[in-house]
Amino acid sequence: MLGDLDFSPLLDSWRYLAGGLGITLGLSALTVVSSLLLGAAVGFARVYGPVWVSRVLTFYIDSMRAIPVLVVLVWMYFAFPLVAGVSLPSFWAAWAALTLHVAAYVAEILRAGIKSIRPGQVRAALALGMSGVQVVGKVVLPQAVIRMLPALGSIVSVAIKDSAIAATIAVPEYMERSQTLAGQSFRPVEVFTTAMVVYFVILFPATRAVDMLYRRVAHLGRS
Amino acid sequence: MNEAVVLDYRDVRKNFGSFVALNGVSIRVHKGEVVCLIGPSGSGKSTLLRCTNGLEKLDGGEISLDGVVLPRSETGMRDVRRRMGMVFQSFELFPHRTVIANVMMGPVTVLRLSRDEARQRAEVLLEKVGLSEKAESHPASLSGGQQQRVAIARALAMQPEVMLFDEPTSALDPETVGEVLNVMKRLADEGMTMVVVTHEMSFARRVANRVVLFERGAIVEEGPPAQIFDAPTVARTRDFLGHLGWHG
Amino acid sequence: MSFDWGIIWQHRAELADGVAMTVLLAVATMLIAISGGIVLALMRLSPLRPVSAASACFVEFFRNTPLILLVYWAFYVMPVAIGVEFSAFATGLAALSLNVSAYNAETFRAGIVSIRRGQSEAALALGMSRWQVMREVVLPQAVRRVLPVLASTWVSLFKDTSLVSVIGVSELAYVSLQIRSQTFRILEMLTAMAVIYWLLGYPQAKLVDWIHRRYGVSE
Ligand SMILES: Nc1ncnc2c1ncn2[C@@H]1O[C@H](COP(=O)(O)OP(=O)(O)OP(=O)(O)O)[C@@H](O)[C@H]1O
Ligand SMILES: [Mg+2]
Repeated sequence: MLGDLDFSPLLDSWRYLAGGLGITLGLSALTVVSSLLLGAAVGFARVYGPVWVSRVLTFYIDSMRAIPVLVVLVWMYFAFPLVAGVSLPSFWAAWAALTLHVAAYVAEILRAGIKSIRPGQVRAALALGMSGVQVVGKVVLPQAVIRMLPALGSIVSVAIKDSAIAATIAVPEYMERSQTLAGQSFRPVEVFTTAMVVYFVILFPATRAVDMLYRRVAHLGRS
Repeated sequence: MNEAVVLDYRDVRKNFGSFVALNGVSIRVHKGEVVCLIGPSGSGKSTLLRCTNGLEKLDGGEISLDGVVLPRSETGMRDVRRRMGMVFQSFELFPHRTVIANVMMGPVTVLRLSRDEARQRAEVLLEKVGLSEKAESHPASLSGGQQQRVAIARALAMQPEVMLFDEPTSALDPETVGEVLNVMKRLADEGMTMVVVTHEMSFARRVANRVVLFERGAIVEEGPPAQIFDAPTVARTRDFLGHLGWHG
Repeated sequence: MSFDWGIIWQHRAELADGVAMTVLLAVATMLIAISGGIVLALMRLSPLRPVSAASACFVEFFRNTPLILLVYWAFYVMPVAIGVEFSAFATGLAALSLNVSAYNAETFRAGIVSIRRGQSEAALALGMSRWQVMREVVLPQAVRRVLPVLASTWVSLFKDTSLVSVIGVSELAYVSLQIRSQTFRILEMLTAMAVIYWLLGYPQAKLVDWIHRRYGVSE
């Protein structure tokens, strides 16, 4: 029962776990940056690119909404090398898979943000004699970015949560090391409960910040 | 007036934080009387109505209905609210229900009438406000004036002893104001006791038995419309009416 | 390297069972999590501080932990905490339900508070009790606002069921990975798994877009 909990294995292995946490944060940070870049490119190309580009990208985005991250991860790590002839180290396979997945969400957020700007704004800017690029850069984006900020902020927690799934392809991040330690110490209750708390402590401030952003931005979004 | 007192406000006080919204208001509303509350924005007219049916709690004084002081408890207030109909500036019809279902809602959920009885009652009332043919429509497809007439029917479905109106025509297009005021006028003629917050001075003059001018949570002047509009005894009343472009 | 795509056809029965299990998990979880979400949302909006705080803690905790970890946690901690051994299915269902209930609670809460105050006041003015106001006026309207969000949550949930494969619930991902290890047909089975999820999920994603266009409120 819960009476005889023993947290000493966690204390003994704190360096091992801390190292895992470092990898979790590193993987998440890399994923956020690369997804923002890829997602922005995809999002723009989808909204402003030629029709066929837009179709292809829509297909990519919707496919990522349909396929579980776990499946993309496992495919990238085990199957991709068989097709490409090069195998990726698990960390980079995880990074690539998570990026593919999260970038699709970023692209969706970008599109929704751009679409939320009333057409009258664009017409008004064009009427002033602005070029297409100027309209997007000076009128559409500045408004859209503000509205997108909270959703983009939530990408951070998505990346951290999804990075835990990388444990399934043996990336030695915090989740994977918790599993290992749980197995070695025969203390899964203590180890996994601690892991829940650790993730919560990291994720809660992130979601709180996003909630606050939503409240801050809500009134700016109106038009 | 010899009729019984329906609503009796005695030194009613209401604060929002340090802001005094009602600063000792006393009014008596008799059976069958129409009392119009007028006054500048923020003077406390809505607050008085909201206190009347318990949407706001009093900070002092008391209000009684038919000689019984209104209870402070939520459940006690529920029984009182059944006996008062309230009409809001923004209609507040229930958008997920048809027009007739809106009118039936009170009788069915609160009075526990059977659906058939409630429907009959609702049909009569929709007829009365001239909207029988809209019974199965959804509120969103109605004009503002029509929605407000439905809201009046919904309140009447509870067969209230008194009707409270909070600027029922302020949110309406000018061309539909008349149809709502006509319904209210007819109601008044049938002897309904009414407290009406309004900016429609011609309605107040035509229909009210008594007009009460509010300012900063207190009564400036009260009296029959002829006195208020044609021979105000208080300079402030003249100013207020002058601002509205009222020249007797 | 040669590929043998026939392997997929040979294992069609197991894969079909896996799909059935995935659908069952998703449906069962959603049913539990809609009720759970409504209860948590009402608790959250309760004037009683302890009730609302309890709901807030529950929601924030399960919203802010990775689901895959929650699955392991449920697997190891639930039997110890409650003293009963659960099947893998029940454990997976519990983990998914905790997670999705937390998300739904936020969705319903947002839906409820988005209904103008005037609506409840109009209902109160008719003499309704707080509960009647909730049931007759606020919830029916909130449900409509909430529908598009619930649809999106459903699509996420459908994908997230793959995570209970780690405790051996024989849904689509688990079945596919098992066949892969037995046959060593790695590329074929992993690709088949991805394609089956795609076939199931793609129409859902499109349907969600349609629901958003149809019911989405733009205010
Ligand atoms: N819930 C509240 N909290 C704080 N202040 C309030 C609240 N409700 C009303 N007030 C304030 O009380 C004052 C009186 O409000 P009330 O709505 O009764 O005015 P009114 O006479 O109906 O004006 P209007 O003609 O604009 O409707 C206003 O200054 C208002 O800002
Ligand atoms: Mg008012």
